[in-house]
Amino acid sequence: MSFYSPVITNAAEVAQSDDLHLFRYVEDPEQHNVDTYEKHGGYVAWKKVLTSMQPDEVIAEVKNSGLRGRGGAGFPTGMKWGFVPKDSPKARYLICNADESEPGTCKDRVIMERDPHAMIEGMAIGAYAIGSHLMFCYIRGEFGHCIDQVEAAMKQAYAKGHLGKNIYGSGYDLDMVVHTGGGAYICGEETALLNSLEGEKGLSRIRPPFPAVAGLYASPTIVNNVETLAAVPHIINRGADWYKTMGTEKSAGSKIFSLTGHVNRPGNYEVPLGFNLKTLIYDEKYGAGIPNGKKLKAVIPGGASTPYLKPDMIDVGLDYESLASVGSMLGSGAIIVLDEDTCIVWSIMKLIHFFRHESCGKCTPCREGTGWLEQLITRIEHGEGRPGDIEKIDDLCGNILGRTICPLGDAAVMPIQSTIKHWRDEWQYHIDHKKCPCANTHEFK
Amino acid sequence: MATETKKDTRTAQQAPTVTLTIDGQEVTVPKGTTVLEAALGMGIHVPTFCWHPKLKSVGACRMCYVEIEKMPKLAVSCATEAMDGMVVHTDSDLVKRGRKAVIEFILANHPLDCPTCDKGGECDLQDLTFKHGFDDSRYDFLKMRFTEGAVHTTFDDVRIGPEIILNRNRCILCYKCVRANKEAFGEYDLGAFERGNITEINAAPGREVSNPFSGNLVEICPVGALTNTDWRYKIRVWLTKQARSICPFTSSGTNTLLWKEDHQQKIFRCTSRRNDDIDDGWIADVTRYGWSYVMAEDRLQTPLVKKEGKQVPVSWEEAIDLVARRLTEIDDTKGNVCIGGLINPQLDNESLHAFNKFMRVTIGANNVDHRLDYPMLPAQGDTAYSILSSQPFSIADIDTSDVIVSFGSDMLKEHPNEYLRMRKAYMFRQAKVFTINPYAVKNADIASVDVVYAPGTDEIVVNAICLAAIEEKLVDAGRAAGLKDKIVPNSAAEAAETAGVELDDIKIIARSLADGKQVTFLVGELVARCAEREPIAAAIANLNRLFGLTDKGQVARLARYANSKGAEKLGLTPFPAPEVKAKLERIFGGWPENEALTTDKMLVQMNKEAINAGLVVGANPLLLYPDREFARECLERLDFLVVCDSFETETTAIADVVLPLASWAEYAGDYVNLEGRTQHAEAAIKPRFHSRPALEIIEQLARAMDKPLFESADERRREVAEVLAAQAVLPWPNDYFEVSFDNAAADSEYTIPVFVGDDPHHAGHLTEKSPSLSNFVSEAYVEMSIELAAKLDVKAGDSVRVESEAGKVIVPVKVSDYLDTDAVFLPRNFSSAQVNSLLMRKKRVNRVKITRVAD
Repeated sequence: MSFYSPVITNAAEVAQSDDLHLFRYVEDPEQHNVDTYEKHGGYVAWKKVLTSMQPDEVIAEVKNSGLRGRGGAGFPTGMKWGFVPKDSPKARYLICNADESEPGTCKDRVIMERDPHAMIEGMAIGAYAIGSHLMFCYIRGEFGHCIDQVEAAMKQAYAKGHLGKNIYGSGYDLDMVVHTGGGAYICGEETALLNSLEGEKGLSRIRPPFPAVAGLYASPTIVNNVETLAAVPHIINRGADWYKTMGTEKSAGSKIFSLTGHVNRPGNYEVPLGFNLKTLIYDEKYGAGIPNGKKLKAVIPGGASTPYLKPDMIDVGLDYESLASVGSMLGSGAIIVLDEDTCIVWSIMKLIHFFRHESCGKCTPCREGTGWLEQLITRIEHGEGRPGDIEKIDDLCGNILGRTICPLGDAAVMPIQSTIKHWRDEWQYHIDHKKCPCANTHEFK
Repeated sequence: MATETKKDTRTAQQAPTVTLTIDGQEVTVPKGTTVLEAALGMGIHVPTFCWHPKLKSVGACRMCYVEIEKMPKLAVSCATEAMDGMVVHTDSDLVKRGRKAVIEFILANHPLDCPTCDKGGECDLQDLTFKHGFDDSRYDFLKMRFTEGAVHTTFDDVRIGPEIILNRNRCILCYKCVRANKEAFGEYDLGAFERGNITEINAAPGREVSNPFSGNLVEICPVGALTNTDWRYKIRVWLTKQARSICPFTSSGTNTLLWKEDHQQKIFRCTSRRNDDIDDGWIADVTRYGWSYVMAEDRLQTPLVKKEGKQVPVSWEEAIDLVARRLTEIDDTKGNVCIGGLINPQLDNESLHAFNKFMRVTIGANNVDHRLDYPMLPAQGDTAYSILSSQPFSIADIDTSDVIVSFGSDMLKEHPNEYLRMRKAYMFRQAKVFTINPYAVKNADIASVDVVYAPGTDEIVVNAICLAAIEEKLVDAGRAAGLKDKIVPNSAAEAAETAGVELDDIKIIARSLADGKQVTFLVGELVARCAEREPIAAAIANLNRLFGLTDKGQVARLARYANSKGAEKLGLTPFPAPEVKAKLERIFGGWPENEALTTDKMLVQMNKEAINAGLVVGANPLLLYPDREFARECLERLDFLVVCDSFETETTAIADVVLPLASWAEYAGDYVNLEGRTQHAEAAIKPRFHSRPALEIIEQLARAMDKPLFESADERRREVAEVLAAQAVLPWPNDYFEVSFDNAAADSEYTIPVFVGDDPHHAGHLTEKSPSLSNFVSEAYVEMSIELAAKLDVKAGDSVRVESEAGKVIVPVKVSDYLDTDAVFLPRNFSSAQVNSLLMRKKRVNRVKITRVAD
């Protein structure tokens, strides 16, 4: 028996498309079985890599494809793999970062639940490319069903000889370990993930050294996102040039966007990078507009850690460069839509509460700053703000931004700074009138 | 100096360097140096909280920001490697703003309870706030409070260890304590719990922070979060002065500061005085807390003289006159050889030398020894053991060694400082560590191979390594020639079987010794205190010759006490090294003719009533000599026994005259550490009560016998310097030693091998008088493995009777998680349990039986 989260996807559209690939079979209830996956062309790329390609060729192919990390930072995947020192005598490790915890993001979950072999195949190819014989899948501990699915898939892959000793008679050994997280957002940050995997407290590490040089157990380690790895088999099968036909020049390929918030059809949609944000929100095939005909107030385009967009900024391509040009980020591709009745300060209060709760506590600005900001923002939202609070918040944000070990500090303050910039009047209203203009409209308050 | 005969193994390689500019000054530093270290090296102040010179950088506090041109953000200098051409600004406006922000964030939830905080006056946060922070706070919320239970209180003090009080509200989460505990000490009894701004440092659940280095955690705390009970609320730091002292309990001579107040003539605490050549700034708890015996109220206050069977207080004049008269009498009637002298090697150089001169010139007998707790010492001066003991040794060379072997040494208990060095070499340079012991020891967790051999087969294990090297052809055949015929058994496999160890382990060790570029081979007390130490030392000498270890590193038996090396170099033994003896002979104007007697021999002579008077300075042989019954019998037969000590002990109880001795903190003196390095310890306070330093007592005694020792203090110092300058290192012989072996069968009834030594928190007989150390361990115990406890059906805390042929003690059980054989360990530091009564001096391995005491 298998259970799928009732998530809307655009699998039907993807099936029609020649190019979109990640969601092609996600609505097939048997796709998680290795037989079905193989029937759909699974493990062909892995076999091809093992039997006919050198690790360098794999890295070159992925590098050429322009695939960039889908976890949030958008770092070119092939280049990252190329950073692993060739002459290191130590073991190397590939880690799949399946600790999907960014508020709004729910794309990796779909892949792991419905098409886990795609991820495993991508991991295997990545492991081969960097010369790793042991790969880890670090899955968010709350994803009980994902863990079951991935573990079952892993067992099937072993049984079918896709993993284990002397795979396909090539002499290459590869083992996989599924590890479940203990419930910390920070463990999605790669260095904290490494600490957690080593059995330590999930605290981020200072870089350099980068994980590619000294990661897990101080050995060369590559950490990739689920979606990134799931795209790799397709690149191997169909070539880097095909992959580049999708998306924009600098942002190649397709990406899954998790559309949530005030839209009629919240769900996961795979579209080529550079897809228009406004279309995604309003098109009947995707978000189908805002419920009850309300107006749009703001869009968070890349998960809770990216700056907000105003309604007049959403006619923009969903790719790394275009979003940067309007002052935000693609992030993990979690688009949160807020309608006109939503209080900006309230939404920020919810976010800073999350970041304060999830700050690991290692470095001072993030640890102390998020707590202080939460108190200030909560007091403003509750109508107890004092004159000067907004300036203080802005200043504190400036003291955190770029001053922390890992990006969590930046993630916490960038949305705040963007709302103070775009909706300063609304912030001021809270202080001047000692109340929230949108009070009583928030269901979950 | 240790390096005088030893060629420097660290070849001066041209290390690559980088050149960068910091605040307009160009500086060239070795590659790998951080920007922070480069700046500090130039004398530029860069504030830090979480950085520690001996720990890995984590970049947590963010206080050490610098601006580096072409870098988009402020960089944390502690974790930024200096690169060629970097242009660094440590004092730009951006940097100042960054620091201010960090201080502001840290102070947000930091209680401003400086007036009641013990750290006030020496607090990093206080100092850096004055230097870099705001005058005012923009934080207008209630500060976060950790509370115990439901009661909110500012004074959130939690005792997390015998000597450590934690105040989590003051903690700024620099994680230095947790990191030091883990990285430097290999201990896991302290941790960080929860996350974000409610993160708290605390003892691991169900544990207390009682590791033998826990005091360092308090010292490195940048705020008043960790304080220790011996200092809390006693005095403000600015009212104290510091005396630069040396640890009297360990042989490393770790540098310390004694914090004292002159009007009250009181010592308040002891902290480290970082000396990278010796201690890296870490000191063991026994060093940190041991001083408090000095301030104990039950110190001996006046001389005591036995009158009609009772010891009664007398004046110093009366006591000295009596001793001088009685000694002269015995000298006249029975001869000078009838007087024996034992001195504690924890005393300073001048006292030792004065004692030597007193015994060998004033009395005129060769009866002098400082090795009070070693049985069956060799009766001549040129044995393998003497050679091994005289070898030079350098602590800093442990750092650079790639192979480190500790043989017959419970490092944590005997040499805590060198134990940390081994850990450091392992943690930071991935050195290979091997431990070879008759019972499992604590540092086995860093050991690539931990060999535990059957007690009593020490030399066979060493032979096994040699044989394995020959069999595997790891060493030059020419070098190995002749060894195989001189040692037993015939093959490594046979040797491994006899010793009960894995042959593969032995092979790995042999290979590492052969391949190692720089090898440190340490021999410890389990060999030194063995009744049959000569074959073991010979086997080690063979091993050294076979692998050529001295040429590529060091092989040494580590001296055990604060001035053991000094006593050896000053000739306080029956058989000083030839050059030392020559020097002394010239200074003394002759050399006594009688047969030189070791501690054992002296005791035997006392037993035969051939020695009638004894002089014991600063020592307690009844507690420490490894055969209590024998020692008691011998000392009780003396006609006249003089004992100098700071406390009433078992030995003072049977003395005819007891003289109160001043402690090391009460007079200035020089001490020679195990490397042969002479260091000076200042006096912290004046001698308490009517106690006097040993030197003064000996000189007065000599004067009272009309034979003053020195014309002037200058002469005394000159003599000491002259003797110390003599070459005391004995050369290795040019051939292999014969090593035979006789496997003694275990007694039928007594089966459990017993080892007696110092508790990790104690050293010698004085530390039990230190209240702080007694907070850690205050009574003897028998430490045994989990398996043995199960076999005996006892659990931790149960009282058991430990019985040997010689005697018995009743002690509680301590179950150890690292012992893994049947061997048991008992600490000898407590007069409440006479554990040396279990030992017999002639026995190589003492064995006991253990039975539970009925409730």
